[in-house]
Amino acid sequence: MLDQKTLEKYLSLCMDSAADFAEIYEELETKEIITMLNGRVENVNEAVTSGVGIRLLKGVQSVYAYSNETGEEAVLPLIRDLAAALGEGKAEKPVTLTRVEYENRHPVRIDFRTSSLEDKTRLLSRATDAAMAADDRIVKVQAVLLNVNQEVQISNSEGRLIGDTRVRTRMMVDAFAQEGDNFQSGADRPGAGMGLEFYEQTTPEETGREAARVAIVNLSAGDCPSGKMPVVIDNAFGGVIFHEACGHALEATSVAKNQSVFSGKFGQQIASPCVSAVDDGTIPNAWGSENIDDEGNFQQRRQLIKNGILTSYMIDRLGARRMGMAETGSGRRESYRYEPTSRMSNTFILEGGASFEELFEGIEKGLYAKKMGGGSVNPQTGEFNFSVGEGYLIENGKITKPVRGAALIGNGRDILMNIDRVCSNLERGQGMCGSASGSIPTDVGQPAIRVTSITVGGTANE
Amino acid sequence: MNKEKWIQAAAEGGFESFEIYESLSKERSLRWFSGEMETFVTSRVTGYALRGIYSGKMVSYATENPDDAQMDRILAVMKEQAAAITSEDESFILAPQETECVKNTHNFISPEAGKVKEALAYVEKQILAFDPRIVQVTHLEWSEEDNCRLITNSCGMRAEDAGRVQVLVAGAAAVAGEEVRDDFLVRTVENLSDFDLDAFVKKLGETVIAKFGASPVASGTYPVIIEKDAMTSLFAALSGMFSGEKIGKGLSPLRDKLDTQIFSELVTVIDNPRNADYVNLMNYDDEGCPTRAKTVVDKGTFSTILHSAKSAARMGTQSTGNGFKASYASAVDVRPQGCYIVPGVKSLEELEKEMGDGLVITDLAGLHAGIDHVTTDFSLQCSGYLVKNGVREKSVTLITIAANFLELMKQVRAVGSDLDWNYRSIAAPSILFEGIAVSGE
Repeated sequence: MLDQKTLEKYLSLCMDSAADFAEIYEELETKEIITMLNGRVENVNEAVTSGVGIRLLKGVQSVYAYSNETGEEAVLPLIRDLAAALGEGKAEKPVTLTRVEYENRHPVRIDFRTSSLEDKTRLLSRATDAAMAADDRIVKVQAVLLNVNQEVQISNSEGRLIGDTRVRTRMMVDAFAQEGDNFQSGADRPGAGMGLEFYEQTTPEETGREAARVAIVNLSAGDCPSGKMPVVIDNAFGGVIFHEACGHALEATSVAKNQSVFSGKFGQQIASPCVSAVDDGTIPNAWGSENIDDEGNFQQRRQLIKNGILTSYMIDRLGARRMGMAETGSGRRESYRYEPTSRMSNTFILEGGASFEELFEGIEKGLYAKKMGGGSVNPQTGEFNFSVGEGYLIENGKITKPVRGAALIGNGRDILMNIDRVCSNLERGQGMCGSASGSIPTDVGQPAIRVTSITVGGTANE
Repeated sequence: MNKEKWIQAAAEGGFESFEIYESLSKERSLRWFSGEMETFVTSRVTGYALRGIYSGKMVSYATENPDDAQMDRILAVMKEQAAAITSEDESFILAPQETECVKNTHNFISPEAGKVKEALAYVEKQILAFDPRIVQVTHLEWSEEDNCRLITNSCGMRAEDAGRVQVLVAGAAAVAGEEVRDDFLVRTVENLSDFDLDAFVKKLGETVIAKFGASPVASGTYPVIIEKDAMTSLFAALSGMFSGEKIGKGLSPLRDKLDTQIFSELVTVIDNPRNADYVNLMNYDDEGCPTRAKTVVDKGTFSTILHSAKSAARMGTQSTGNGFKASYASAVDVRPQGCYIVPGVKSLEELEKEMGDGLVITDLAGLHAGIDHVTTDFSLQCSGYLVKNGVREKSVTLITIAANFLELMKQVRAVGSDLDWNYRSIAAPSILFEGIAVSGE
């Protein structure tokens, strides 16, 4: 990382322009991916990326330069380029930095960088063996171990100099089951903001068995029904419904420019009164957590919705300027190649009071979405989708036959009002979220919920 | 980075062969919002991906910080990887092969910054003036990217490819009462001075305004035209099925289907990274293997598996020049490039007349999640319009289409003539299908 004196020099040069704010984001990331197929290690790939992103702001205008060359001969021309792009204006505003120290909320015990490849590949072997042993019909298992160590240092013209180290690990197991010509798959992909000690609490065997279980269920799954019906969405990754239907539309990325269905709705009822939801980047060692956001502000717990009332947006620095509201520590980015913008961290619906059985009461024909895939949303219109990875029919209040994948679609404006029961079994699941500032790790989550009516995109038309 | 020094050190350290893949990308972009520049971005990034064969195993390491002082440490890390790899697949670092390179005839001329600002200001003004219901130009951006890759290896390879692309992107939102509609348009622009900005504005404006009154249709099975942009996204999402890597591992739905009928005989698929219409024309894949044209699906028959050096060796054949990486730091995979469904002779309007009553799907969403790549089952959110007696009747939104892609591609009634490459690496024209399950009301 650049030393304090050099950063002060660069920032002072940045501020010798029309800029009213300047920021330097430095990053050094080591990523290791090990892939295994049917117990054999196919590939071990290590990638080290390092670079710097320099941002100048003038009101709500921004100019941004990024490079992996950090010497003066590369950086000074970049700063001059940025200053010229901002237009006329010159005022010497020298910058003096003060380093901010804090206690790490996300300690790591077993560093993947110093663990042996043998130890790491053994984790994958354990998952593979458990998946293969789960059922004779499991014919293939693909297992991937991802580990990331990301060091960032952020300095700005307000005099702040602060750093963070984010460590993440994730195991992704895909199991393939075959019965005659019928070939299906199932997956499980747990992760955390932890070192390899994560696999002491979420064992590779559990992950392998879960992937196999879903593959076997899909062997006997029939066509999903089609049309509008009540849906019970289970916990953990079921929270992708909130992430897509509401989460993105509460990011200043779209709200600030009046491009969200929830723009201008602060303090209004946007969800059913049984829905309360938070975005919390402080949860110790969670997949979407970090000590500071990528603008150098401490992460926060943000209560987005309380009893159906919109109580907070997620707001980055530029969003705050546009909206005239306070920043919420939500400025995130995939890497130095992106400007930050407001993003989610760990986003979930809070526990309710219904029992799991109550969610199914009174449903003559519906869908139980036990496991979800990903989804997407257009925050402007509110239209969103997310996919069912493992589903079952609900017939007369009972879970019956398994059915295979369908997209569930709706409009965020309406769907949150259609949640009428929220259970108490809150859990979170891990995913990667894509938006204007790239792909970032986020948790989604919820207890099991019931949506009274949602369009299910199956093939079994009546 | 002193490449010769690294290659020599690798050889002295016991590597059977060694390769350095260097990638340089430079970008400039300007985003415009509410009458002024919103964001300007400039960048220059160089990345290096190292590969080597050690003890018969392919090992790899990528870095953006290729300090020669790190050389011994990095080579040691790569040797450790070799001990961990237990796959028996053979891997190769390729020797150079003779090829006559094809020149990219796309000529992207970089405009002055002032001209770009002028054009963006004009486009924003014209979009807002197109219709009083258009309330905002939600996204307006000009971007230019230069990329260059150079592959150097111990077998004497020195393969170089470079490319440039310029793109204009605009999005607009329109409001009528409680109804909000929006759309985006993206076009490559070789010469901004010649580019018809008015036609660009008209296309975007018409598309957005036509979406008003959109609502779902009743659930059922409908004849459907998947319009070219939507068909391109669907075909691109599933094109991994042709990969020799997936086929060799038994993970592709086409794993035992070579030389069998997989699509309608109206469908022919060609993969050609040297296709003159492809803006990112590539003479070499990311292993330095010369690229070439090949017929992947010949009138519905699956006739060519796409290969990298590794997947080809696994199946006892030769690379087809399809060893490509998702990014410079990724492992080499098998990917189609310059791949397309050969267009037919009927325009979209003619397809609509032939269909009579049915749906035209213009937008698909959720492709990253709503497709099962093992079975090719898909269920995707979509929008478009209803056609009655061959004429557009009303806009449709918040519906899904669901089918099995391989089954669907056997039910092609007609392939359109409207293939449009634009900025894409994979393309398809509009296609009329017999029937697809639709979920709506």
